[in-house]
Amino acid sequence: MADKVICITSGKGGVGKSTVTANVATALAMKGYKVVAIDADIGLRNLDLVLGLENRIVYDLVHVVEGVVPPEKALVKDKRTKNLYLLPAAQTKDKSAVKPEDLVKVVEELRDKFDFIFIDSPAGIEEGFKTAVAPADLVVVVANPEMASIRDADRVIGLCESMQKPEPKLIVNKIDPKKVARGDMLDVEDVLQILSLELLGIVPEDKNMVAYINRGEPAVLVPDSIAGKALRNVADRLLGKEVPFLELKVSESFLDKIKKLFGSD
Amino acid sequence: MGFMDKLREAFGRPPAKEVAKKRLQLILRYDRAGLPPNAIEAIKEAILGALREFPFVDVNGVNIHIPEGDSDGKIEIEVPVKNE
Repeated sequence: MADKVICITSGKGGVGKSTVTANVATALAMKGYKVVAIDADIGLRNLDLVLGLENRIVYDLVHVVEGVVPPEKALVKDKRTKNLYLLPAAQTKDKSAVKPEDLVKVVEELRDKFDFIFIDSPAGIEEGFKTAVAPADLVVVVANPEMASIRDADRVIGLCESMQKPEPKLIVNKIDPKKVARGDMLDVEDVLQILSLELLGIVPEDKNMVAYINRGEPAVLVPDSIAGKALRNVADRLLGKEVPFLELKVSESFLDKIKKLFGSD
Repeated sequence: MGFMDKLREAFGRPPAKEVAKKRLQLILRYDRAGLPPNAIEAIKEAILGALREFPFVDVNGVNIHIPEGDSDGKIEIEVPVKNE
């Protein structure tokens, strides 16, 4: 049985947690699974923007926790993808408004009604992070191939261990094959060697990602998006399918042609 | 060895990713052990100072390190004795 409650976390901010959450949740819903994505970043709500649902929010997670409405009533139905729902974060409260046991209770109430429950964790390693991780069957750590992100990811992995969670799985996000080829950026193998986790996905840097987020349209819905394809593969792996990782080839540049001319490599 | 690597070697600079990897591996050993980055050096200095009082200790062979892998909250200190 696939893990049902999946927390997406990272330690460092800005590595692509919400983008990964929105896209993988969308990809699974497209396949017919019933999916809810919970934004656990109380006070800094963002998942609604990535999904383009910001204008449809009436109730949020804090209303649910405070007992104002039952969880089902706070769910926002996605406008594009059938079977996909968002449970938004509150924008005006702070992180302490939802305690770990509160989120565990909300997730328990939703568990039987969904095939997958995603929790988009806040950045950091304080209470908000601990709340987001508490109900999870599986923790997915998103890291960029960049020093600060990897160091923070390592902290998060250590904290998950001390919280007696199963070993997290890793998504390496925003990898730039050109920079890797130049020897400027850490490769996926380097990141894996340092963090030693099971790899769940390799997502290349996609210059169109900003536009997808600006339109509130997840990349998995764009057939020719390479990041979208990588994220659809993550969804398949969560379903237990063995999908090969994308070969990230560098298109031949002017420099490559010169190098060939000189017969090196 | 590729063209770029040769070029880099000529300028005496390893690729940035290799530098990053080495720095990270070192930082994380200290992070995982919950130690400040200069802890080993500071401890070594203090211990060597104390050990110099004992003529049978080979101070040049003293090795202080964080064990590989799960350090289990320990630092290992090896103190060889001279046996001539």
